[in-house]
Amino acid sequence: MGRAISLWAATLLAAGAFGQEFKLGSKVSDFGLRDVSGAPVAFGKLKGQVTVIGFIATQCPISNDYNGRMKALYTDYHPKGVHFVFINPNNTEPAGDVAQHTKQNGFPFAVYKDERNVVADRFGAEFTPEVFVVDSEGVIRYHGAIDDSRVEARVKAQSLRKALDAMLAGQSVEPARTRAFGCTIKRVKKTS
Amino acid sequence: MRRRDFLVAAGAAAALPGAESGLTPVDEAGYRRLLEAGRGKVLLVDFWATWCAPCRVDLPLLVKLEAKYQARGLKLITVSCDEPEQEADASRFLRQLRVSGPAYIKRSADDDRFITSVDARWSGALPALFIYDRQGRRAGSYVGESDKAAVEAALVKLL
Repeated sequence: MGRAISLWAATLLAAGAFGQEFKLGSKVSDFGLRDVSGAPVAFGKLKGQVTVIGFIATQCPISNDYNGRMKALYTDYHPKGVHFVFINPNNTEPAGDVAQHTKQNGFPFAVYKDERNVVADRFGAEFTPEVFVVDSEGVIRYHGAIDDSRVEARVKAQSLRKALDAMLAGQSVEPARTRAFGCTIKRVKKTS
Repeated sequence: MRRRDFLVAAGAAAALPGAESGLTPVDEAGYRRLLEAGRGKVLLVDFWATWCAPCRVDLPLLVKLEAKYQARGLKLITVSCDEPEQEADASRFLRQLRVSGPAYIKRSADDDRFITSVDARWSGALPALFIYDRQGRRAGSYVGESDKAAVEAALVKLL
């Protein structure tokens, strides 16, 4: 379930408190990220027919427990046309750490930096890992967890895979919402 | 033992003394019972996990708070949200901190239901602190890295 949450968040109980703009069923407008070299990248250039947007961390043990599963997802679904946009939103994990983490874990995908967790705020993302899946129109069709257990051997519900399979088959996603779990995102302190 | 069997067994064992780790498994019903059993005291319930860095920072502060206000009726209850694989580590950490109050470990057949039963607005994020007054009513909720001065002030109002 990352956590630089300050006083403003002391009584925080819902993702809506982050000023969530993109919600399940709503359309995602373009947003900006940075690659690990610091160059700006627009989401519009990364998205595909089906796009997984995953908030992940370098230091969160739960997020790291999913490293292998994220690689497997990419290996299984990228050839089917699914795009993956992994994002590190943690204020405590600089781009250099993200680049090193990506290399050390042999990720076959890029991980982008969300400076000042602006994108995480727009999605109302609270955890690493936490995923959103958007369709070709940019509409969020799935939001929640990758699966239902930190321990891979105890996974019973492959919720993200199920959502991707449904979308690739042109079917509705069910369940479209699951409870994400992991480390809370380490957000910047906002005084206003 | 299959996972479901384990969970059912854990649920049945809620509010009974724990196994070797010393942590008591707790599910939704067990949580309700522990709140009922704590009536007459002001309860500070801390949901934490060994993998949660801010939780590990918070716990010693909460232990100090309990020591400071124990005589006035404050009781600290810890609920570990660790997986079974981390249960021994959780127990060890609590022993190192000399946590004297009841120590539980979440073992519910349905995490969503458990989290909602504690507070429908809680996402499950850790650390999470819940304060209950002497009548067992929830009087405060703090999720994430919370201001301990604010937590203390809220407790003092109830004590």
